[in-house]
Amino acid sequence: MTYKTDEIWEDKWVNTTCGVCYCGCAAKVRVVNGVPVKIEGINESTMGGDGPGLCGKGTAGLMYYHDPNRIKKPLLRTNPEKGIGVDPKWKEIEWDEALDIIATKMKKIMDDDPNKILFTNQTMRASDGPHNHPYFYAQAFGVKNNGNFIIGGGSLHCGNACHMLGGLIHGAWSIAPDWRYTKYVLKWGSSKGTGSGHSAMTNARLRADAIRRGIKEVVFDPMGNFAGGKATEWVAILPGTDTAVGLAIANYIANTRGEMDILYLKAKTNFPYLIREDGTYIRNAESDKPLIFDSREGKIKEYDDKTLAWENCALDGEYEYKGEKVVPCFVPFKEHLKQYTIEWASEISTVPVATILQVAKDWVDNAQIGSTITLEGKKYPYRPVSSVTFRGSQGHSNGIHQVAAIDLMAQLVGAEDVPGGTLGWPAIRRAYPGGNYEQTCKAGKDGVIVPSVFYSHDPWPVHEPSLPATNMGCVDVWTHCTLSHIPYVDEMEYIHEKFGMKSKPEMIFGIAANFIISNSDWDTAIKNFKDCFVVQNDLWVNETDQAIGDIILPDVSYLEKDCWSSEIDAFFFSGSPSHENWYVHMQQPVAKPIGESRFFMDVYIDIADRCGVLDTFNAKLNDYYGVADPELQIKPGEVLTWKEIGDRFLQWIYGADHQKVQDQGYATWNKAIEDVYWRWDIDTRCPVYMEYLIHDRRAMENIFEQTGFDVEGLEFDLDQYSPLPTWFWPESHKDLDNEFDLLAFSYRDILHTNNTTFQNPYIDEVSKMCPYTFTITLNTTMAYERGLKDGDIICIETKAGVKETGIVKTMEAQSPKVIGIAGQGGLWADGRPIAKGKGANFCKLLPSKLKYFDPIAGNMETAVAVKIYKV
Amino acid sequence: MSKNIHELEQIMFPPDGSGVKPYEWMINPTRQRQWIDKQGVFLWLAFFFSEIGAGLYFVSLFYQYKPGLVLGWLITLILGGLVHVAYLGNPFRAWRMIMKPNTSELSRGIWIIGAFAALGLLQMVTSGGFNIVFNVIMGILCLLVISHGFATMKVIRALPAWISNMVLPFSIISGVWIGQQALQLMFVFGGQAELVSGMEVWAEAFYFIYFLCLVLYVWGTWHANEIGAASIKMMLSDELKQITLIGVVGLAVVLPLVLTLIMWGGDTNGFMVFLRLASVFAGDLAVRYIVMKSAVYKPLLERS
Amino acid sequence: MPRWGMVIDVKRCIACWGCSIACKEEHFLPPNVFWNRVLIGERGKFPSSSKLILPILCNHCSEAACVEACPTGATYVREDGIVAIDDEKCVGCRACLVSCPYQQRTYYDKEVKDREYFPGQGKTELELIGEKLYPFALGTVIKCNFCTERLEDGIKKGLEPGVDEDASPACVNICPVNARVFGDLDDPNSKINRLIMEHKGKQLRPEFGTEPAVYYID
Ligand code: SF4
Ligand code: SF4
Ligand code: SF4
Repeated sequence: MTYKTDEIWEDKWVNTTCGVCYCGCAAKVRVVNGVPVKIEGINESTMGGDGPGLCGKGTAGLMYYHDPNRIKKPLLRTNPEKGIGVDPKWKEIEWDEALDIIATKMKKIMDDDPNKILFTNQTMRASDGPHNHPYFYAQAFGVKNNGNFIIGGGSLHCGNACHMLGGLIHGAWSIAPDWRYTKYVLKWGSSKGTGSGHSAMTNARLRADAIRRGIKEVVFDPMGNFAGGKATEWVAILPGTDTAVGLAIANYIANTRGEMDILYLKAKTNFPYLIREDGTYIRNAESDKPLIFDSREGKIKEYDDKTLAWENCALDGEYEYKGEKVVPCFVPFKEHLKQYTIEWASEISTVPVATILQVAKDWVDNAQIGSTITLEGKKYPYRPVSSVTFRGSQGHSNGIHQVAAIDLMAQLVGAEDVPGGTLGWPAIRRAYPGGNYEQTCKAGKDGVIVPSVFYSHDPWPVHEPSLPATNMGCVDVWTHCTLSHIPYVDEMEYIHEKFGMKSKPEMIFGIAANFIISNSDWDTAIKNFKDCFVVQNDLWVNETDQAIGDIILPDVSYLEKDCWSSEIDAFFFSGSPSHENWYVHMQQPVAKPIGESRFFMDVYIDIADRCGVLDTFNAKLNDYYGVADPELQIKPGEVLTWKEIGDRFLQWIYGADHQKVQDQGYATWNKAIEDVYWRWDIDTRCPVYMEYLIHDRRAMENIFEQTGFDVEGLEFDLDQYSPLPTWFWPESHKDLDNEFDLLAFSYRDILHTNNTTFQNPYIDEVSKMCPYTFTITLNTTMAYERGLKDGDIICIETKAGVKETGIVKTMEAQSPKVIGIAGQGGLWADGRPIAKGKGANFCKLLPSKLKYFDPIAGNMETAVAVKIYKV
Repeated sequence: MSKNIHELEQIMFPPDGSGVKPYEWMINPTRQRQWIDKQGVFLWLAFFFSEIGAGLYFVSLFYQYKPGLVLGWLITLILGGLVHVAYLGNPFRAWRMIMKPNTSELSRGIWIIGAFAALGLLQMVTSGGFNIVFNVIMGILCLLVISHGFATMKVIRALPAWISNMVLPFSIISGVWIGQQALQLMFVFGGQAELVSGMEVWAEAFYFIYFLCLVLYVWGTWHANEIGAASIKMMLSDELKQITLIGVVGLAVVLPLVLTLIMWGGDTNGFMVFLRLASVFAGDLAVRYIVMKSAVYKPLLERS
Repeated sequence: MPRWGMVIDVKRCIACWGCSIACKEEHFLPPNVFWNRVLIGERGKFPSSSKLILPILCNHCSEAACVEACPTGATYVREDGIVAIDDEKCVGCRACLVSCPYQQRTYYDKEVKDREYFPGQGKTELELIGEKLYPFALGTVIKCNFCTERLEDGIKKGLEPGVDEDASPACVNICPVNARVFGDLDDPNSKINRLIMEHKGKQLRPEFGTEPAVYYID
């Protein structure tokens, strides 16, 4: 077997960025005679896996290029009827015609009311490229905020609550353990370091070293699979009950053991802030700043008073301010925790008392409160414990309280953004030496951190809920939503009517999103979106395109994409949480675009130009990258391709090295240790006591009263607007009864990113080798008791009568009260024959009534009460 | 609904004949397929034909019956040999199989068959070929050829179903038993009624030894180890049950027994001799099929 | 002469199948042909059960069952320990395939060759160029070759297998968590020997007496 060298006229490697999931690992592609034949990681970059490592789905990415099912020309629906199972009767049309139809329509709607245009994208770069740009793009059309964005990637299963608190606590999109120095990690419904989550392979590489070093990793999860199956200890827990265990552990730390990092609490949280009876801060009347009692001087001062030393911020006592009785908010907080005993938590979560107690003990013992570590000559508090969560635990109607409780443990021992603790997935991005693009966070109102860059909105400061609602997502009312849930809510029309939402959406402009099948109940999604004119840039005709798409534009895959910007704003999205070099990778075209496909950024520009808003868009780009050099700015009237813009902006971003970076396809430079462990250097305080929710509650109550909104009928749980992390039953548990006696939940499979990966034949092949990917998992004993065995076909049915069938696979490592479904299978689009019929669809089982969504962050309840039976 | 269910399985885990889903491969006991599925049937037939051909040759030696030699020789070489060659991926390189007699049982088998072919031919063409030296040499060669298939299988440690000590005795007796039956039928056709009847005592003996060996083989494999037991279980799985019951129990054991009892003591009848041959012929094919089809590999993951 | 071997650190492995897919790309393997897989199983009872993950590939056994069974000598152990197949000598009798206790071999025939990654839609450019760049001989048996070409080309360039990317097996390179380590079993100081010593490396199914060159540590 030899290589036939005489027939090869080209054999090269091209550096780029993996586009198969949202992590964007460094990737290089071997191209022979113009054909991409192999993908590996880049040895010289720390971005992603070890050395030239890449995970299986990234390695399989080749097939995005080779798939004959890719659309090659714009498609126009000729059948006006929409819906699942209706043939759209596609007609191929020319680009010019397609863009003409789109621009005419968009312009007309824009002139009437830009809020009638919705935008969406997929946080997954087989197609989606620069992360933030769709948001400025929408703004160029006059769209105000993220309320016009309908979630299209990981869907609302993803991270609204996590992102909200990630932003408020860490100034970052997400969190990760400090694998380098930690000794004890708690993971709650998260697979960070074991295949999923952000910077998946970066984390996996760091975790593997940590595990070899001998750290303990305890995973609370309904199933012991990707995360639990690799943990040093897997603890079976019922979905949505993490709050209970978290609060019980917090109670143990604060009240039973009483061992806390007091200086941290005084200096880095809002616990010393004085509150009055009703729980709100007292504030200085002039500066509006919250106040703290200085225990040395016996005086009440503004929280950032220069004469107030950290150690003198009182955490206890009772004081008087202008005739009002006031206390540091830590006082009621600590008291509140007392109700949460370990026995109580055990009953709710099914985790044995002894296990919770052991974890609580190990947590405090490993926290080494008071210890320090010297790194690179700098002394830091050393807190080698980390508690992290993501999709699993936060995807519940009590999502905010879940995340808050899990974070609380780390707060109490001061393990935030210090060596060994929980790190923001990064908050800071320094400029390339000699370059100009830098993003740093700062302290905002009340000392809370303001993230430098966020994906869709600003977590802080939050505006108060107000009327009227101006967009489909009603983010005027639901202010904490990263992306809003309202577009998927069954009572949407009622909500719109009550809240005076006048901008009924008429058009959706999307990028490869599959929002019809990837959120909750499909019928509701169809109902809420079918009247829109739907344009998508896509690689294939996916389920959403087939059900409601009007024009589908062929997009390039990441392998054909020339995207200089792909990672520049993604330091907060693909960065390493650890003390490793900064890196930024570009997407360089590896092969020629398939058919007539065009990169959506260029389509964006073309349409903006046709609609007369290109100058506004360009100005926003200048602004986002902070391009101050007039030579390099895009000037009014200029129509540049995305690549041409890059040729200028890269000069700004990388200075003299821009050509080198461009040739290499990535840049990597030194990260200072201070940029990793910044907690004690940046003067901010974590709003652990969520005072803002009291104000939100009042505003919500007002709105409801004013509008006659049927709070009771819709079962909207206002009590969750509580400043204290509190136990609330997740909505799915309330539905459990004798008949619907199981909770269905879903989890991320290492092989799959949402649903696009189901169309990849390499991934398809190995998915069949995983016992769980395409099947429905049941606990072995539970299955036996119900007369079920491996290979049986079962039907899952919800109270709403939604059904899904699938093949049973039993596993020991699963709570006997749940059933598990991986990823987003159960697909049916004709445009993706490999994906068609694979796996089971979990999303459609989720009910879409408002009560199933977290009332604050809009998280979807991602467990559902079901019954199962053999068919 | 039932159509839908079928589709679910078909789409997600299209059956590939292995009987296990891809995620069970080498995790559950996994079947041997190369030597029975698809073109693998050639190998099954090849082993069978060389066995019965040599069996016929062997028995014919005792009767110094040349047509038996000729027919046996032809069956072994033409049906056995050619079918075996047809099974190969590169039939024109078949000669290379003589290269590794020191380690490869298959290679040794080729040498033996070669010797059988050459010496057999010599014996058939030389007058006075039935001398004692020739007979002994050819007898031994016949037994080696008969057991060649099973000997090749027995050395495969990876398939514990084939390592039972009963494999060789069983294969020899099946060759001899069917060879004897074939010769008996030849005598029927040759109108040598006396010989036919006289041979019946051998038929009775061979049948019972054959039956005994079969039982011992199954018993031994069942008790040899867990994987052997899994193989035996597989014989009764849905997929193989019918062949096991009809082929092995019915045709290899029960029907010949009935016929043998009817003809007990030499009360032979041409039709019944024919019927019995047909039955053991099909029965032995079934036995071999089941033995090959049910051989499973030991899983690579230890569960407990 | 070195004797090449591999250590797979099951503790690190997260079952991502990167190795399986990278190997397929490296050798342009047709659908459903794997030179390298990851087995997933389970041990124990709820709640103290554990997930089992086992990446497997040809063990390049020094007492290889396949070599023993091969009647032509097409399958043989090279001086550097790699169990190789000379496709010009292979008759396609599949004795090796049946004999391998690890089931690491595939018979490459027309049916396999004709498989399409997108069934019924014709072969992609990838599959077509693969048939030219890395052709297999019809009617022969194929399996993992420890990426012989990569090793040999790398060594020629003065690179060190197991250390330099260009001289190491594709599956070792791709592993994102460094669960696969390649090196010389005959060198007592090699990284793999250190890992085997330190973590008591085990061979898979030693009872078959095949003496694998692939070791597992946990
Ligand atoms: S694993 Fe199998 S194919 Fe590989 S050398 Fe060992 S016996 Fe041969
Ligand atoms: S060593 Fe090479 S041929 Fe063998 S499994 Fe790994 S990648 Fe495949
Ligand atoms: S590439 Fe590494 S982590 Fe992934 S399955 Fe293979 S050995 Fe395991």
